[in-house]
Amino acid sequence: MHRHLSKTAHWLANRLWPRSPTARSPAARSLAGRSRAARLRASLGLACLALLPLAACTGDGRTPLLVYSPHGRDLLTLFEETFEAAHPEVDVRWLDMGSQEVYDRIRSESANPQADVWFGGPAAILSRAAEEGLLEPYRPAWADAVPTSSQDPENRYFGVYRTPPVIVYNSDVVAESDAPQDWSELLEPAWQGKVLIRDPLASGTMRTIFGYIVANAVRETGSTEAGFDWLRRLDTQTKEYVHSPALLHQKMVRQEGLVTMWELTDILFQQQRGNPLGYRFPTGGTPVIDDAAGLVRGARRPDLARTFLDWIGSKEALALAAEKAFRLPARTDMPSDSLPPWAREALEHMVPAEVDWRLIEADGADWMTTWDRTIRGKGGDAPVGSAP
Amino acid sequence: MTPASRSRIGALAVALLLTWLVGYPLLLTLLQALEVEGRISFEPLHAFAGAADEWAALGRSLLVATASVVLAALVGVPLAFVFARTDFPGRRILGALVALPVALPPLVGVIAFLFLYGESGFVPRLLMDLFDLEKSPWRLHGLGAILLVHTYSMYVYFYLFTRAALARMDGASLEAAASLGSGAWRTFWRVTVPQLYPALLGAALLTFMTALGSFSAPYIFGGGYRVMTTQIVASKVSGDLARANLESVALAALALIALIAVRTLQGSMVDATSAHGVAPRPRRIRRPGVRLAFAVLGWTLAIVLLLPHLTLMLISLVPSGTWTTELLPPVLDFGNYRELATEPERLRPMVNSVWMAAVATLGAVALGLLTARRARATRGRMGDALEALVALPWAIPGTVFAVALAATFSVSQPWFGRFLWVGTPIILPLAYLVRVLPITGRAAIAGLRQLDPALEEAAWSLGASRTRSFFRIVLPLMRPVLAAAVGLSFITALGDFVVSIVLYTYETRPISIEILSTLRSQSFGVAAAYGVMLMLLSAAAFLVWGRGEAAP
Repeated sequence: MHRHLSKTAHWLANRLWPRSPTARSPAARSLAGRSRAARLRASLGLACLALLPLAACTGDGRTPLLVYSPHGRDLLTLFEETFEAAHPEVDVRWLDMGSQEVYDRIRSESANPQADVWFGGPAAILSRAAEEGLLEPYRPAWADAVPTSSQDPENRYFGVYRTPPVIVYNSDVVAESDAPQDWSELLEPAWQGKVLIRDPLASGTMRTIFGYIVANAVRETGSTEAGFDWLRRLDTQTKEYVHSPALLHQKMVRQEGLVTMWELTDILFQQQRGNPLGYRFPTGGTPVIDDAAGLVRGARRPDLARTFLDWIGSKEALALAAEKAFRLPARTDMPSDSLPPWAREALEHMVPAEVDWRLIEADGADWMTTWDRTIRGKGGDAPVGSAP
Repeated sequence: MTPASRSRIGALAVALLLTWLVGYPLLLTLLQALEVEGRISFEPLHAFAGAADEWAALGRSLLVATASVVLAALVGVPLAFVFARTDFPGRRILGALVALPVALPPLVGVIAFLFLYGESGFVPRLLMDLFDLEKSPWRLHGLGAILLVHTYSMYVYFYLFTRAALARMDGASLEAAASLGSGAWRTFWRVTVPQLYPALLGAALLTFMTALGSFSAPYIFGGGYRVMTTQIVASKVSGDLARANLESVALAALALIALIAVRTLQGSMVDATSAHGVAPRPRRIRRPGVRLAFAVLGWTLAIVLLLPHLTLMLISLVPSGTWTTELLPPVLDFGNYRELATEPERLRPMVNSVWMAAVATLGAVALGLLTARRARATRGRMGDALEALVALPWAIPGTVFAVALAATFSVSQPWFGRFLWVGTPIILPLAYLVRVLPITGRAAIAGLRQLDPALEEAAWSLGASRTRSFFRIVLPLMRPVLAAAVGLSFITALGDFVVSIVLYTYETRPISIEILSTLRSQSFGVAAAYGVMLMLLSAAAFLVWGRGEAAP
């Protein structure tokens, strides 16, 4: 195939830029005296063509395993290296994207699935994918060790980590005692125009938080109205919806906003990098997200994918993720001394809220559409001081 | 079979190929949008027409596109006049620098703007320091921010088109007007401007289409200011495919209406470029004061234009997490580049982008040439149709086209021209090819028009085969025009973000996607380092191939 390609390139080159100036046409004669720039162009063009065979050969003999995951470069690189060390015949490949984008991608590729494993994302999103037939049932070896609430009854996905959303503040400007203690304190006049929110449409985390707020209203009042009202007031407080977590942290660090809501893992990473961000567990409870994983239906390497799924939930891999990547294990049988101090502290202070996940799974998408079309940005630019 | 009917069949084959590549995916999108439970119905259309927020988004898209045209013209046209008509120190270097925004790829450019003019960016911080302000003087946000980015990146179209037209303008007509007693002002409005109409219209159309399909700027700065492109992606990501399809159709319809309107306008205009003559020489400015003023203004402008590029280079040297509220970064080193160079996996996207852009460009040149030849051989209605088809992808916003392509090639129905290409390395280069087809196709058509058919006929009569005469006579003579198109196509494909984000796979992930993924992991420095690489590749392509005569 390579030889064929290079022959084609050669032929093409000879056609486009003939070497021997034998032709007698004026054009050909002008070619004979072509400038160095023209030669440069020609050789650059050929260099590009020469890259083609290089690009065509991808594998190195190892079996590739493709993982779609929102868990970020740090954890994925760590897992790639650790898993490959134990399975030298495997080449773990991953694409890092938002969890909602994983869903969109797996769905649009369903006719020709590319991914083998879907690793990470709120269980609500995986549940929706499972209902659409995008996931293959598989019960990993560690499934019995996670709470039943983190298990799909039909074995299509299981919780691997627990990710608590927290209240985040810039610790250079806001003292810990002044930071909001609960979600509702974000609505206080003091934070007017100082709240930043990650654009919730593409973010599983934000969808979960917003879904929790509306579902909570349904539980307390029987209707979604109070929940949307709360979100409307939050919109009035919000300075900006930021399109990516990276920009959110950047803007928080640069004091464009002072408080936000985001997941614990990222904030711990930010602290590790020396960025001045603090966090609090909301006193009234936080909707702890089950970060789940599952086997993609039609996966090309299903056996390997099963091995990988078995491994990510093993005690060893969970301890590694907790130690190096600030992931809280979903398994309840982890020995306490296998967890780093931050995890023990989180387990102690975190107040998991009671959440009607079924309701969020069923109606969450519609709520988000309603929010997006009728609430987003309607009060965001209100001048400072106009009380909500 | 007579030669005439043979050329008709050839033209028909090319037309079919183009329709399959360009029109068919859109038609399928329309059908899918109208499908309710397996039947075509106008119910969704009714619902759509009644949705106020959809109309608002469409209106905002139209507003953004129109305002971008006006602002880009206000910057680009005067600049072209200054550089074409006056001579001052540094004119040649500045004239080249002014085209630099072309080498700033969309996504990267937007990020550079954020660091430069964003609320905590360099310029607001500087102003706060200088004037002792409590708060940032502005927020880069909403319509204003989108228009700023659009003006910066799109005035180049007006600049290049106007300059090319001014260079072709017959100086004798100006002298004639002057000798007939017309004043400078009157000559400008009655002689110069009418001759520029075709170029201005071309630039306006290109700007309008680019702004209408623009995604990066509204995505990052838009916030609550939702235009149709961001609306489509929001619907798709939320899983509401039917709505995404309808929105795509609406946006494509808006673009087509604009295209038809401009073509009608163009048809009613006299072709002013047929005049041949010598362009007036640039006027040398002699008064020292004025010379100085021009030079200062020119260099200030160049610095403003270069600021985003410089910002990007600066960020690429900042180690992660070291630049918070300071005016200038406290630490600078090459760590980010080292990270790129030491991990082979991270060089991969660059290789991917280069080969895909090269293949797409080559394919687009071949298809463009084929179309141009057939259009010229058949002329008449078929020729017009071919020319319209090749220009059509211009009018289709990238997001719409990518979504349509993904839907069309996710089913295996060879008899209906649908193949299972989603998830394969075929689909992304193919999408790039169609995206750049208007550039190469228009250049080929323009190049063939300038070519004297007698040259080729002479070659035939001397016994050269058609293939031989094409490769030995036609292609070499068209090379200047094609070279410019190759450079522009290559840059466009290399920096693409909109189409890539829908269609990439692991094997074909391009630089822009890697930048996005790097941004996710908070490493702005590494993302900027990728951006600088992309910028240098674009600039190299622009310098190597783009120096041939521009062919608007």
